[in-house]
Amino acid sequence: MRSERGIAPRPFPITARGVVLILIAIAAAASVAHLQVTGAGVAPSRGGLVVAARFLSRAASPALHYESDVPPGTVPLMWKAATAAQTTVMFAAAATSLALTGGIVLAFLGSSAWWASDPVGPSSRAYWWQRRLGPCVYAVARVLTAFLRSIHELLWAVLLLAAFGLGHLTAVFAIALPFAGVLGKVFSEMIDEAPRDAAHALRDAGASPLQVFFFGLVPRAFPDMAAYAFYRFECALRSSAVLGFFGFPTLGYYIAASFENLFYGEVWTYLYALLALVIVSDWWSGAIRRDFVV
Amino acid sequence: MTAPADSRSHRAQAVHLLYGRRPRRRFARASGALLWLVVAYSWMGGQFHLDEFFSPRRLDNMRRFVRELTPYPLQGRAWDWRVAAAWLGDLMDTKGWAAGATTLAVSVIAIVLAAVAAMVLSLPAARTLAASEPYLPHASAPSRLRRGLWASLRWSTRVLLIFLRSIPEYMWAFLLIAILGPTPWSGALALALHNGGILGKLSAEGVENLEQASLGSLRALGARRRQVVLAGILPAVIGRFLLFFFYRWETCVREATVLGMLGIVSLGYYIHDSRARQHNDEMFVFILLGSLIVVVGDLASAAAREVVRRRC
Repeated sequence: MRSERGIAPRPFPITARGVVLILIAIAAAASVAHLQVTGAGVAPSRGGLVVAARFLSRAASPALHYESDVPPGTVPLMWKAATAAQTTVMFAAAATSLALTGGIVLAFLGSSAWWASDPVGPSSRAYWWQRRLGPCVYAVARVLTAFLRSIHELLWAVLLLAAFGLGHLTAVFAIALPFAGVLGKVFSEMIDEAPRDAAHALRDAGASPLQVFFFGLVPRAFPDMAAYAFYRFECALRSSAVLGFFGFPTLGYYIAASFENLFYGEVWTYLYALLALVIVSDWWSGAIRRDFVV
Repeated sequence: MTAPADSRSHRAQAVHLLYGRRPRRRFARASGALLWLVVAYSWMGGQFHLDEFFSPRRLDNMRRFVRELTPYPLQGRAWDWRVAAAWLGDLMDTKGWAAGATTLAVSVIAIVLAAVAAMVLSLPAARTLAASEPYLPHASAPSRLRRGLWASLRWSTRVLLIFLRSIPEYMWAFLLIAILGPTPWSGALALALHNGGILGKLSAEGVENLEQASLGSLRALGARRRQVVLAGILPAVIGRFLLFFFYRWETCVREATVLGMLGIVSLGYYIHDSRARQHNDEMFVFILLGSLIVVVGDLASAAAREVVRRRC
């Protein structure tokens, strides 16, 4: 009897997975209805098709020299692309280093393993200020990371440009602020989820909470944190290139300028430069991750 | 006689031995050192000047900017909540709600398109599946031609995925708007291209990491490749795939806001528009609204991923 009931199909054979998939389909349908599929919106116009054909036809033949007459003394195109790529890397590296500094501080202040009244379990001795200030500082750090993170780097750029005007530091801060928020959140989660064995051993040996945190918890989370920092560097490269659209001298600036002048060959040259940067850093961070895992 | 000293030296030796045997990751260390060099070089050579922020002219500009963040009807007057609320309500009714809805719609369409493309592209990109006799030991070595064909299919898919994800969403949108015009669909397609590349890579790895034995037994029972995909691979991989799906949807919401600055009528459009007209008060409201949508999207995605992790 019982086994029969076990085999009998349920009246509504819908799993949680099915519900999730159906909800996604409903959301998609509602979105399509909201945006209204019109022929003009989805199918390219004739002019658009011409642009697409001209642009794509240059994919295999990026420009090696300028496609227009340039005043004598202008640096060669390849040199210009290399300089733009270098600026892109510089902005990304400077921003990542700032973001790391901010992110580590925010991760420390926002990790529950540190502020919990019992950082790593019973009988650990929290400092008195840790117990008193804990909830406030923890909440402030969490809200601050969420706020920094929730504003896109390009919107930070818009805000900072309006406030300070165009300068290289503006670009660096535009990337560093949201990235500090992301790093703060992810690092604090990594610290909270790291194995606690070393921390417990240190605590039982009489280490202070600070010692437990920095010598017991952080080292266990360090490989993940380092790998993630490299991944964010790769993201910073992309953001730095895109900031060129706002007038900073990174790859995006030259891509936009050449595209608007219809020099599609040059666009591909700069795109391939960006592609090379991203692929190298993608491979690099992947190799580091594998190095840590094994 | 010297037992304590002896034991201490023993312990020191043991510690020294342990220290010597610690895992050393030369490559990671060298990479870290190299990255620090790049950082130092960037700070020295990148022409970053602090007086960009603190010169008197910049500070004046900054003060003006902060002053202009006050709602326009209240500038130069005492603060009045009713006026501020009326101003805000008007702004939301004329632009805010519609732009927010478009932003969300673009992000949802983008991630669904990306997911469909990624599901399809991940199959030929997976090393285990895209082979002449997947999941089975070979009875006889496959011919060089067949192996070459499968390898070229695999590698061309992978190169396509790398290309898709290496170009930032914003640049895809910039290019697509020139082709399709500034409609929300160009934005959705741009997001779908970039995220399709990322999801495709992630789910190809998911397919490769599936347990080989059960798929092999399906094959041994005579299942064709299509049947293995439908009955074996898809049901097994979809849980992880949904996790990635919601995780990338978060990013799509963020990016959909921003793509508006290129002319698509999402929130970014009004941010760009009010900045061009120097209405900093409106710009600030739209940026905050965007940040609110991102936070709500993050919470929704976290809740969805929790459900998926537990139940799917």
